[in-house]
Amino acid sequence: MSDDPYAALGLTKTATAADIKKAYRKLVRTSHPDLHPDDPKAEGRLKTITAAHDLLKDPATRTRFDSGEIDASGAERPPDRAGRGFYRDYADAPGQSYPQGQRFEDFGDPSDIFAHILRQRAQSGTGQSGPFGDSDFSVPGQDLRFSLEVPFLEAVRGSKTRITLPGGENLDVQIPKGLNDGQTLRLRGRGGPGYGGGTAGDALVTVSVRPHPMFRREGDDIVLTLPISMDEAILGGKVAVPTIDGVVSLTIPKGATSGQILRLRGRGVHPQRAAKAGNQRVELRIASPPVIDANLQAFMENWRKTHSYDPRKAAFEGMPE
Amino acid sequence: MTVFMSEADTIVAVGRLTSTRLQAFISAELLVPVQSPQGPLFGPSDLARLELLCDLAEHFDLEGDALGVVMGLIDQLHATRQRLHAVTRALEAEPFEVRRRVGLRIVAGQVKG
Repeated sequence: MSDDPYAALGLTKTATAADIKKAYRKLVRTSHPDLHPDDPKAEGRLKTITAAHDLLKDPATRTRFDSGEIDASGAERPPDRAGRGFYRDYADAPGQSYPQGQRFEDFGDPSDIFAHILRQRAQSGTGQSGPFGDSDFSVPGQDLRFSLEVPFLEAVRGSKTRITLPGGENLDVQIPKGLNDGQTLRLRGRGGPGYGGGTAGDALVTVSVRPHPMFRREGDDIVLTLPISMDEAILGGKVAVPTIDGVVSLTIPKGATSGQILRLRGRGVHPQRAAKAGNQRVELRIASPPVIDANLQAFMENWRKTHSYDPRKAAFEGMPE
Repeated sequence: MTVFMSEADTIVAVGRLTSTRLQAFISAELLVPVQSPQGPLFGPSDLARLELLCDLAEHFDLEGDALGVVMGLIDQLHATRQRLHAVTRALEAEPFEVRRRVGLRIVAGQVKG
């Protein structure tokens, strides 16, 4: 921050406590990142003015600063937000559940903003009189949020599941094929009841996908590490590979090596609206035999005499001797 | 996976928050926690939203319906930005000629409007 907290707030040393509060409020209004989501400099400005305000709002620290006992950074403290950032960083995420009840289709209905206020009046009974007469008073219900954990395979394949609401009733949820971790499903009309004939709110279900011990998802591709035996690596051959839709046969080329990646085209995730499915990428890993018998050992010792090769050659290139 | 916090942990994480204040935000529908058999849960975006609510409540003495109106406007601003970004992204995928025509039309509209 600047060296002079008074200057940061646009004030001089003669400012009263009321002046400080007033100046601070005005600056927060123009610099709070959540009130100015498109201004990249807002966060830095807010930090400066907040540090200045923190120093000056307390008469004791203000006196100490004025007398030179502490410098401007003396009161600067680590940000409260513990690295969470500002709300604007989350508000752009897909499936964001605010504003309540708004969807892309109903572009900017200004009445939404008052819906929840009216709904609360309806709940507390004060909405029955006044300008909102019984006859034409209707407000849509509240959207409710739920979280749901889905096993990996059910998320990529799609499935049906059920969540139990706090009231004890069940809600059937259709998991669409290829659902992503953190995605929010909107179940129309399964939220809170509307008032005065208003439509019910929606249930917003945020889904977390439980990781799978073998499969990983990268975009629409499935990644799997497949152990192969030494002889399969050297001689090549067909091996069985698990995919998200069952077992398929994969041809290992002769002389395959650890880290080599083979592609099973179209065996990845096929999201509901995507034109085509992703691939499954199989990364090979050579597993040595569990027991090295005398025959194998004798063969390898012999083989080494005439065929030795150095797979580490590249790793030493350019290294000092 | 998204990590959700219990009500008690959330009050600790957001320093300025009290149980009373949190209940007031929830009953005013300024914040809608995720419901679970263990009670209400709060994700990272809820925590950030709580910080914003505390900022507005503390610095501007906003509460009740006034806070609701401000949050409603902020939410609408974000929704509008999201839609604008969606339109922009869709346009980016179009050929140059289409983008040029749309761009010219926007500029012409601004001059007239």
